[in-house]
Amino acid sequence: MAEVEFRGVSRRFGDVQALHGLDLVVADGEFLILVGPSGCGKSTALRLLAGLDKPTSGEILIAGRPVTGLGPGERDIAMVFQNYALYPHMSVFQNLAYGLRQRRTPRAEVHRRVRETAVLLDIDELLDRKPGQLSGGQRQRVAMGRALVRRPQAFLLDEPLSNLDAKLRTQVRGDLKRLHREVPVTSIYVTHDQVEAMTLGDRICVMSDGEVQQIGSTDDIYNRPANTFVAGFMGSPPMNLVPGEVRGGTIRVAGAALTDFASPDRPVTVGFRPEDLRISGSSQAGAVPARIDFCEPLGSHVLVHALVDSGDPGAEETVTHVIAQAPPGTTYDSGSRVGLGVARGKTFVFDAETGQAAPPTARDRVTTA
Amino acid sequence: MTAAELTTSVEPHPASRRWRLPFSPWHLVLVPLTFLLVVPLLWMVVTSLETQGEANRFPPVLLPHDPRIANYADAWHTAPFGTFFLNSTLVALAVVVSNLVVCSLAGYAFARVRFLGSTALFMTLMATLMVPFQVTMIPVFLIVKWFGDNVSTYLGIDHLGALMLPNLATAFGIFFLRQFFQTVPVELEEAARVDGTSRVGVLFKIVLPLSMPAMSTLAALTILTSWNDFLWPLIVITNTDQMTVPLGLSYFQGAHQTNWPLLMAGNVMSLVPMLVVFVVAQRYFVQSVAGTGLKG
Amino acid sequence: MAVQDVAAAAELSTPPPRPGRWRRLGRSETATGWLLVSPGAILIGIFGLLPVLMALKLSFQKSDLLTPDTPWVGTKNYRQLADDPRFAEAIQHTIVYTALFVPGTMLVGLLVASALNRSVRFISVYRTAAYITMAVSTISEGIIFLWLTDKDYGLVNATLNAVGISSQPFLASTSQALFVIVVMTIWGWTGFAVIVYLAALQGVPAELHEAAAIDGARPFTRFRTITLPLLSPASLFLLVWLTINALQLFDEVYLTTRGGPLHATTVIVYYLWDQAFVQFNAGYAAAMAYVLFLASVVLTAVQFRLARKYVHYS
Repeated sequence: MAEVEFRGVSRRFGDVQALHGLDLVVADGEFLILVGPSGCGKSTALRLLAGLDKPTSGEILIAGRPVTGLGPGERDIAMVFQNYALYPHMSVFQNLAYGLRQRRTPRAEVHRRVRETAVLLDIDELLDRKPGQLSGGQRQRVAMGRALVRRPQAFLLDEPLSNLDAKLRTQVRGDLKRLHREVPVTSIYVTHDQVEAMTLGDRICVMSDGEVQQIGSTDDIYNRPANTFVAGFMGSPPMNLVPGEVRGGTIRVAGAALTDFASPDRPVTVGFRPEDLRISGSSQAGAVPARIDFCEPLGSHVLVHALVDSGDPGAEETVTHVIAQAPPGTTYDSGSRVGLGVARGKTFVFDAETGQAAPPTARDRVTTA
Repeated sequence: MTAAELTTSVEPHPASRRWRLPFSPWHLVLVPLTFLLVVPLLWMVVTSLETQGEANRFPPVLLPHDPRIANYADAWHTAPFGTFFLNSTLVALAVVVSNLVVCSLAGYAFARVRFLGSTALFMTLMATLMVPFQVTMIPVFLIVKWFGDNVSTYLGIDHLGALMLPNLATAFGIFFLRQFFQTVPVELEEAARVDGTSRVGVLFKIVLPLSMPAMSTLAALTILTSWNDFLWPLIVITNTDQMTVPLGLSYFQGAHQTNWPLLMAGNVMSLVPMLVVFVVAQRYFVQSVAGTGLKG
Repeated sequence: MAVQDVAAAAELSTPPPRPGRWRRLGRSETATGWLLVSPGAILIGIFGLLPVLMALKLSFQKSDLLTPDTPWVGTKNYRQLADDPRFAEAIQHTIVYTALFVPGTMLVGLLVASALNRSVRFISVYRTAAYITMAVSTISEGIIFLWLTDKDYGLVNATLNAVGISSQPFLASTSQALFVIVVMTIWGWTGFAVIVYLAALQGVPAELHEAAAIDGARPFTRFRTITLPLLSPASLFLLVWLTINALQLFDEVYLTTRGGPLHATTVIVYYLWDQAFVQFNAGYAAAMAYVLFLASVVLTAVQFRLARKYVHYS
């Protein structure tokens, strides 16, 4: 187990900058998630850490030692691949034993460790089978076993759950959490699924276009997003982001004054989460006027889709699509006019140009609900 | 096997201080390697442009002083290459067309038509693939001779018909097309049948149009095999007028053994058609060879 | 390679259809089926099956292919084969040739394919150049190598002289001729072997190499423990196919040495052809052909037996 550090790591492919100066420290025993849409650089970062690729610039350290010159086999890391990459011509036992054998581990020790790991992952019955004879879930566990059996300093996981069906994914997510509790290896986990990210990680590193958008705990990321990207990416359904403005010390959206905000007049992007919205009559003060589009009943709640007018009258009309979460049984006629009130302290403000979160100064004026 | 294998497919441009070549180091391996593979062909072309004097020089002249293209004209006139090409073309054409027609009919029948005895017949036909040509060549000679004596001289010994007859249908062709036809979704045929298309009509209107890649592959393979065939023409043809290119070339070589430039010119001419076919249809050759190798 | 010699393909194909499959297409269509199959069946019957039987019959007769007089001689041809020193010699030459040609071609094919298994610029040009020997006819190949290995003016001898080795007689030498033919035919078959191995190499997911690298395996170990086993189906295919073709070597021998010098390059099929169409001993040749056939079948069966232990299908 060891600390992992990225210092100013960049990677360029021809004209494309896949990674811009990544600075990241993963503490010893921490479970860090790299999350972001495809092309954001998370897999690149993982591969650079694994030694499967060379950075264009910057340094990577494992346990305080720079590993830039070392091949993947010399860094004492282990990796779980998205497609598992199990050796198809070898039995499960041989798959698990391969890494140990390459390091000249004595036979008895190999047997012991393989057995131990197999029991831990509940695959000890499968040791004589070949990967082709296993189900997806079993293969996934063998892949994990192959990584764990070596007791590496760092554990790298590249979207290991994405090939599993939804039900299995939830189960394995739980297994992973338990596993990390029992065997707290420094782990770096890459995924595009923000639910996985939020449930599994000690800390989350949200990435986009080769750059880090924000690093923090689930709570940090969810409740204090650093910019519109993070705000819009994490959360399902995502945070509603509508154009608005600060005028006379108040945040306004579609003409409605929401809350006080100390700042010179400027255009901003206003965010509020679906679960923080309360739907009321259109004339309610401090509520954003909106038109209902349609409702999606989900059993436990209803997702109400609405349209908010957010442009200047006279200018080209801007309509933003907004989703609100309502109690079960809620229905509205399409086209009916309502007001959307934001729960106290749940209005997020971002600079309209940069997308950066505006300093959290004003959460004062109570709106409806 | 080296670090290069592990990097992403696009070769990296790292900003390391080491001096870097402007291109991938693998070119330094690939260029000599392919050169070595191709050098016999290159040397053949070089020699074909030399004079006999230049060719009979030792150590050899690497680049001829004054390329003698006249060698090609000479070769063309010394032996009836025109006839050789014509014969090879006629035979290849007949064999390819016949194979495509006959093997698709049979292949389709084995793939989709349920008839009594189909399995037994198929296995029997496939068994013929196991038998080496050398076993059957003598009797086939006798059979072809019989055809020549009793049906038509053009089908007999020393005529092009003899070259065509034994190859008009091959078990390989039937096997190959049957495999392919089985991959065509049955639903398409069933839909056509429901719409009123006849049993055989389905083959021509639905299956064959979808089978162009397989047909092209079979055509390409058949052309190459037919054109380059040597042993059978050697057995059956002695008359220069009926010779195909490989056979003609071997006679040419026998007659002009020491005139290397002339010989090489003839050789180049003989090679060019199949090289062109190969480069143009490369995709099909590669697919078919690779496919059999991978499945096996 | 004659199309009929594609024996391996049948062995390695999918099994024949089971009756249950047909039910979807409804009732039996025997008449249509036989109608469609008949042109092919008749042609192959006449030129494929009938000759097999005729050859068998012929092997028990004495025939000169010209006169209709073919007396029955029982097993005399076969017994004669067993005592024939020329035949024994031909067998020996064929074995030596096969033992060198088959591994040689596989090795060269694998090395070249490994080099070609990457995506640098112009890779398709390099690959085409490697494949192209497939299109060269055996006769052309023979003529080129006759010239290359010419003892007086050949390029090979020139190169040898340049590094201090004296000129070699090559095809004119009883000890060297067969080896020259080995090299010549390896060259001719390289294209084929490269295609097979390259396809197989590309079928090995890059991730497996990465996983093995992370597991600490060095490049050569990775090749030995991961790549080679996964290439084994392709290797088996090449082994069988190349062996069958090696046993049937003829064209190049005819063109370059006519079986000489002093029968040094007489291989089985050359001797067979000579007996059938030059000496007019068709019955004897037919017997020889059957022995060759039997040997091919046994050898192929042995190879498949070995395959069970060494070949991994993934």
